[in-house]
Amino acid sequence: MKRVIQFKLNGVDTEAYVEDNVTMVNFLRQQMHLPGTKRGCGEGECGACTIMLDGEPVTSCMMLAVEANNHDIVTIEGIAKDGVLHPVQKEFIDKWALQCGFCTPGMIMSAVALLGRNPNPTEYEIRDAIAGNLCRCTGYAKIVEAIGAAAEVIRKGV
Amino acid sequence: MAIVSKEYYAEIEKVYKKPEDYELAGKENAYVRIDAEAKVSGKAVYVDDINLPGMYYCKLVRSPYANARILKIDFTEALKVPGVKAVLTGNDFPEGRYLGCPEAFKEMADKEPLCRETVRMVGDEVAAVCAISEDAADEAARKVKVEYEPIKPVLDAFDAMGSDASAVHYPDTNNVSMYTSMEAGDVKQAFSEADYTDKYYYQTQQIVHAAMEPHGSVAKYENGEWTVWTTTQNVYVARYWIAWGLGVPESRVRAIKPVIGGGFGGKVDVFAHDLCPAKFAQMTGHPVKCILTREEVFLGTRTRHPIAFEIETAFTKEGKLLAKRCKHVLDGGAYGGSGNAANALSLIVANLPYKFDNVDMSAQRIYTNKPASGAMRGYSACQVDFAHESHMDEVAEALGIDPLELRRKNGCTPGYLSPTGLQVTSCAFDETLVTCCNEIGWDKRDELPEGKGIGLGGSCFMSGTGFPVLATPRNNSNSTLVRLNREGYATVFTGANDIGQGCDTVMTMIVAEELGLSMDEVKCVQSDTTLTPWDSGSYGSRVTFLAGNACRRAVGDAKLKLLTHWADEWGCKPEDITMKDHRVFIKSDPEKNISFKEALFSYEEKNFGRSCSGVGSFAHEGGDQQIQKTNYGNYAPAYSFSSCTAKVDVDMETGELNMEDFVFAHDCGRPLNLRAVEGQIEGSVHMGLGFTCYEECLYDEEGRHLNPTFRDYRFPTALDMPNIRTFICGEPDPEGPMGAKEAGEGTTAPVGPAIANAIAAATGVHFHSLPISPEKIWRAMKQLRETGNPHFGDEGLVEKFAAMPKLKPLQSQVHH
Repeated sequence: MKRVIQFKLNGVDTEAYVEDNVTMVNFLRQQMHLPGTKRGCGEGECGACTIMLDGEPVTSCMMLAVEANNHDIVTIEGIAKDGVLHPVQKEFIDKWALQCGFCTPGMIMSAVALLGRNPNPTEYEIRDAIAGNLCRCTGYAKIVEAIGAAAEVIRKGV
Repeated sequence: MAIVSKEYYAEIEKVYKKPEDYELAGKENAYVRIDAEAKVSGKAVYVDDINLPGMYYCKLVRSPYANARILKIDFTEALKVPGVKAVLTGNDFPEGRYLGCPEAFKEMADKEPLCRETVRMVGDEVAAVCAISEDAADEAARKVKVEYEPIKPVLDAFDAMGSDASAVHYPDTNNVSMYTSMEAGDVKQAFSEADYTDKYYYQTQQIVHAAMEPHGSVAKYENGEWTVWTTTQNVYVARYWIAWGLGVPESRVRAIKPVIGGGFGGKVDVFAHDLCPAKFAQMTGHPVKCILTREEVFLGTRTRHPIAFEIETAFTKEGKLLAKRCKHVLDGGAYGGSGNAANALSLIVANLPYKFDNVDMSAQRIYTNKPASGAMRGYSACQVDFAHESHMDEVAEALGIDPLELRRKNGCTPGYLSPTGLQVTSCAFDETLVTCCNEIGWDKRDELPEGKGIGLGGSCFMSGTGFPVLATPRNNSNSTLVRLNREGYATVFTGANDIGQGCDTVMTMIVAEELGLSMDEVKCVQSDTTLTPWDSGSYGSRVTFLAGNACRRAVGDAKLKLLTHWADEWGCKPEDITMKDHRVFIKSDPEKNISFKEALFSYEEKNFGRSCSGVGSFAHEGGDQQIQKTNYGNYAPAYSFSSCTAKVDVDMETGELNMEDFVFAHDCGRPLNLRAVEGQIEGSVHMGLGFTCYEECLYDEEGRHLNPTFRDYRFPTALDMPNIRTFICGEPDPEGPMGAKEAGEGTTAPVGPAIANAIAAATGVHFHSLPISPEKIWRAMKQLRETGNPHFGDEGLVEKFAAMPKLKPLQSQVHH
């Protein structure tokens, strides 16, 4: 069955007509044409499809699109502002915190959510926040470094 | 060793930039990855992000049995699902067109695009359906009824060799997929003269690549020609096997590698998910997409070969290694493909990084009814290094020699030629050993309390496996094209396959460096069989060395043309002219100074508008085409060396393992970008730690995979990783591009033994099998307390090796 949902998508009030059984990740990728959210495992284990729901990180393969009704959804496509990259994105580039890049959107969404609730995380808190985002390339070292650097940039407000 | 093509390219190499003038190569923070912004923005286009108008979807029907005959395939119910457009079975592909790898072993190709009569593993592809949506295709695939006649599967390599085992492929072959040997010197004599000899057993487990991007492809068919976007590490090789499987000339298939979400060797082979969408695209006239689920990636792609080892060594009492005799038994799973290289690689890496004259080694790859084993990062080296380097510590203990000293005494040195023909050029193995030991506090290791320990591992790896998979003129590995544009930029057309490691950035950097342009003034066109020249693929840690050299020769060719033009104008030699900061000039003469753009405009003015472009190629010349069959000769143009040390803290009550410190020292020649090299090393440690302590594919007695999900197949998360301290050792390699050697694969190999040796130092138990889980540590310590036996994990191997049938060499056994 299809139904209408109303929600905020990357800051824009949005209305969509969706099948009940469509997952959020497929809805975003196929219906909203936002392919930045990746499908890595389809069962909530890898974190590649992480988005923010009301500021909290969720794996969008474990959520139905209809559940977005009346909520605020932010994807990797929605964190740059007016063409300027988010500090987390910028630090990922500068610190070489990515290789194949497939986990990167989800990783960045978990990091942005973390910094939204904790602007001064310890290294452990950073690692804990991205423990649900698997990366097979980097060993996480430069990702942790980039998130720490982004936190500092945000705190300094530059 | 002289590289003959250097003479051919001598003029071009004269205009190469001198190392003292480098502004990008080896300079930290001089540039960022060219794909970084797209990747952090969600704009990078992977295969699953390609959506074409009118696109259909393909799903594969897979076998639930590890070994069975296919009796009947019934599509009646499947065809009733709304939206289904077409179905396929093995009979829809031309007969006898088996998929394999490499071209030289085409007669050994053994994988049908879809199984016709027999399935050989759970997950083997038997049929395919095509529908207007992914959901409809999925539903229809579930409704395809396949009748099977199950046969008892063979799941263990030793069992498979037995006379009562059913044949996975060919009867009366002991299920040997391949037999390989390497011999030199007089091993018997060396053993009879040695002060110390031994015999040890080890084994490793099956693990998977787990690239975060699942495999898949999108195919379209227009004007009698296919275009296939596929998750490949080697777009030309993919094109070759796709065309072969379809039974059409290569000229009718265009293969394109978009952005790839990791490979690690798992995306070398061509699969049903490439062939079926291509066939459906032809049948329906619509583009077709097929993306595997994670479970399908576990079941139906590739794994790392489990290897069982029998290792015998002979040493003098002073610790000089005299001889090695060993047998490697590799579990090849159901198919060959890229797995055909595993034997030879396991023997090559067992010959290094130590010097010894007497070699008697064999490797046999055995078919079983499990997912096919194939190439995986640190190909064969991770398994071999775990066994041979753990063994080195046992020798040190027996001889009463410091493990570091034992390694230093026997370690490779620059210019070493192994008795089987492996030619080392630059080599800083000793420096890597000393560096990582000094950094971790090796001297104080005896003062550590019980439960804490430091371990060391060393390794050597081919810097650019020299063999290009397909048959090419002079074994050429890569050809690159560079065009200088009068609008003020350059374009590099490279087939080098970026799968995440960053080779697009490397090629762009090489061109920018040589031309004195900024990174964004060089445009990289990559990995498309119609647009870019030949490259053999991202495997064997070959890309930077082989494709990088070809790229440099290509830009050098164009640069020489341009500078020859200006040398004529200015009355000097081409090599007197400098290219820097977008300018072309003679340093000593301020009058002779123009912009890159003007320089090109003038060049084209003189040459009737003909653009200034260059072509370069690079081949490894160390052996002839026969080396893959004789195993005598030099496999690579250079070798990298690595050592690492791990400091562990084991909870003596529970067996829980905490990694306190990890130091990695690597000789990769000149690191073209330090952060990129560090990234490779950190990723290697991650994969090495997973292999050593976490990962294992488990099967039930029917050959069904028990843990094909990331919930049950766990690899290290950010919380599990230690801090890694990286050190670069050695000097620029004389033949590497701008002095570089490999950094991607060899770095995974020493991680396992360093951790295993640290655990041995902490607990007193030498582990002879992987993974070393807390449970196994607990059991091993219990065994040590109760029986005094300090070896754990080699149970039953003595008997298995003893009972092994004397095998007939089927392939590539040659005596020297």
